[in-house]
Amino acid sequence: MAQFTASVHQNEFLPDGGTDVHAIVTVTASGAGAAGQSGSGDVGEIVIIDTSGSMTGSNIVAAQQAAVAAIDQIHDGVWFAVIGGSHVASLVFPGGRGLGMVRMDAHARAAARAAVASLRADGGTAMGTWLQLAARVFGTVPSLGQRHAILLTDGANQHETPEQLTATIGAVTGQFQCDCRGVGAAWQVDEVRRIATALLGSVDIIPSPDQMAGQFAELMQQAMSRGIADARLRMWVPQGAEILFVRQVAPTVEDLTGRRQEVNPLTGAYPTGSWGDESRDYHVAIRLAAKAIGQEQLAARVQLALGEEVVAQGLVKAQWSNDDTLTTRISPEVAHYTGQTELASMIQDGLAAKAAGDTVTATTKLGRAVQLAAETGNDEATTRLRKVVDIDDAETGTVRLRRSVDKLDEMALDTASTKTTRIKK
Amino acid sequence: MSAATVLRCPGCGDETSAGDRFCEACGEQLVTALATDADATDPAAERAVASEQERAAGVCRSCGGVVGEDGYCQTCGTKAALARDHFDAEPAPWVAMTCDRGVRHRRNEDAGAVSADPEPSSRAVLVVCDGVSSSTDSDVASLAAATAAQQVLSAGRARGIGTPDSQTAAIVARLEAAADAAREAVVASTAADSPDPASCTFVAAVVEDGRIVAGSVGDSRAYWLPDRGEGVALTVDDSMAAELIARGVPREEAESGPQAHAITRWLGVDAPEHTPRTRTQDIDSDGWLLVCSDGLWNYCSEARDLAGLVRRTAAEHDGRPLATTAALVDWANAQGGRDNITVALARLTSGRT
Repeated sequence: MAQFTASVHQNEFLPDGGTDVHAIVTVTASGAGAAGQSGSGDVGEIVIIDTSGSMTGSNIVAAQQAAVAAIDQIHDGVWFAVIGGSHVASLVFPGGRGLGMVRMDAHARAAARAAVASLRADGGTAMGTWLQLAARVFGTVPSLGQRHAILLTDGANQHETPEQLTATIGAVTGQFQCDCRGVGAAWQVDEVRRIATALLGSVDIIPSPDQMAGQFAELMQQAMSRGIADARLRMWVPQGAEILFVRQVAPTVEDLTGRRQEVNPLTGAYPTGSWGDESRDYHVAIRLAAKAIGQEQLAARVQLALGEEVVAQGLVKAQWSNDDTLTTRISPEVAHYTGQTELASMIQDGLAAKAAGDTVTATTKLGRAVQLAAETGNDEATTRLRKVVDIDDAETGTVRLRRSVDKLDEMALDTASTKTTRIKK
Repeated sequence: MSAATVLRCPGCGDETSAGDRFCEACGEQLVTALATDADATDPAAERAVASEQERAAGVCRSCGGVVGEDGYCQTCGTKAALARDHFDAEPAPWVAMTCDRGVRHRRNEDAGAVSADPEPSSRAVLVVCDGVSSSTDSDVASLAAATAAQQVLSAGRARGIGTPDSQTAAIVARLEAAADAAREAVVASTAADSPDPASCTFVAAVVEDGRIVAGSVGDSRAYWLPDRGEGVALTVDDSMAAELIARGVPREEAESGPQAHAITRWLGVDAPEHTPRTRTQDIDSDGWLLVCSDGLWNYCSEARDLAGLVRRTAAEHDGRPLATTAALVDWANAQGGRDNITVALARLTSGRT
């Protein structure tokens, strides 16, 4: 049986007239078990492989191997399918006339491998059609309580407009989760990140084709270890209070504020997808009406809910005090993640400015990113930043854009921008 | 306390005395090193857990919403009062008591206990005890003391040989027995080896046979407040301020001085003697018997002013005792609520035999 805990890090003391309460809530799950064992329905997995013309050659061979590596990790009994995507999407496996999925067993595994081997690279790229087909395929198995896909692409979404993709993302959001991977340097990080973020998945770069199989096996292993099908973060705030934001801040930064679904007028739920044995940190900020010195109140109840069942709760409090030594203290956890969140946006904004040829803005933003990475001890980010800028002084954020930057390094910096480090104890 | 170092409470900034474990002004714990010694078997820690559970899962006093299992209102988030932090009693429609933590203190170390026969103005007992906040378990001690005293006073029916004087003497004897019982309850509530044994004040008033007999130890008070004419203080404080007043210092000045709240007599293991000083008052007109802690009288000390306050407040609440005690507590909180507040009232009418 899965166990959940929630712990809160904050400075609950507010000065006279203070209104804004910040807290980091760490939610930890253990004993999650394997996917499909929690009794909350069957598990469905779809592998989506880019089969556009640009994949011709070593890429399509590597993609076939990656799809097979993923299929090999799917547990027996899990419903699965394989989709090939170009400017149109087609169901590669299972074959037959209509859409459908099959339960994994030795026979299905062999048949799927054979089907994947027949993939040919041809045509353009319209990822929206891939997502639409995946949603329809998942829809053929009503018993699914956990739906997850892995999407591989190597190029830009040339055969539909950004608006079309946005509309499709909106239409399929909430229907399945999707981890996205881009191979090589010809795909657009922004575009793929939009898909992954909306579908509660991750985005990453696979620099060279020979790394694909390893990554896909790992992704599918992870999916198979998520025994908690679907959890929601719930947040209650007092009447009259305003939610400034709700963010996941570890392991990656994701702004959840706009994803609120009303449970009741004072409580909202934010989808978090499936969970394995893991810990996630959330930064919540609430604006209250100020109370008198000495008054204490609850600013938020932050809960993890499985369906209607609340399995963990953390209390965010507020207490007004006229003691400066209490009210001026900043929670180290809040400070750390505020820095990490800014780091993510500085990297993304800096790279966007660089791409637009705005060297001044790019230098300023990436300089600030270097400074924040150093301050918050995010060595991975520092290492990635070093490949894009020359650092003169990390403490002041003084950097110069490097003359020649490997496009792959720049994309790696971009895709990893939302990855955060936990506070050093 | 050395002249060079002024110790201040980290909670409210008030001056504190060396050796104090809790701030007299707000109840903040001052000696944190001692607190960390607490282990799982510490009775104070166990009590803290117990009182968390007591936290009334009821109606929010701030907005009327429902209090959740976590002790906070499910609508406005206000921390629900502990049952110990705010309670009231109405043993008969003519007698009521409200006891409240106030605004500044972290704990309610006041306590009150009342009982009454159903027939108006017949027989009633009103007891208030104010825990001394420089000791550890004063909240437990004061409640135990008030309850024990009230039980002794309600149970006693001895009337002497029936003359008014012997009746009064019998009630005085009961008050002394009640003070003894209260003291024993205080002593029993702290460990024998405690460096800060609990202590509290004591005031009790008995209504019987058309008269009030009141007695006190410390600075909690009883007043007879007739509907017309002057209010009468039925008790004299055992305090530094009272000694100054006795020496001719004006009341306002004496009661606002640095040692104003230092009491010279109390109930506790370290108290040399605790015989209540008593006074008898015939109920010769309609009026209110008021028994209260300094949480109320701090804001209204003169009997004349208190009489006006109680009359006004009662009039605003149709003369209902419980509504009036609650309103007087609200009034003290509105004045700042610097201390715990206990207010007990009995509505008395003359003409009974």
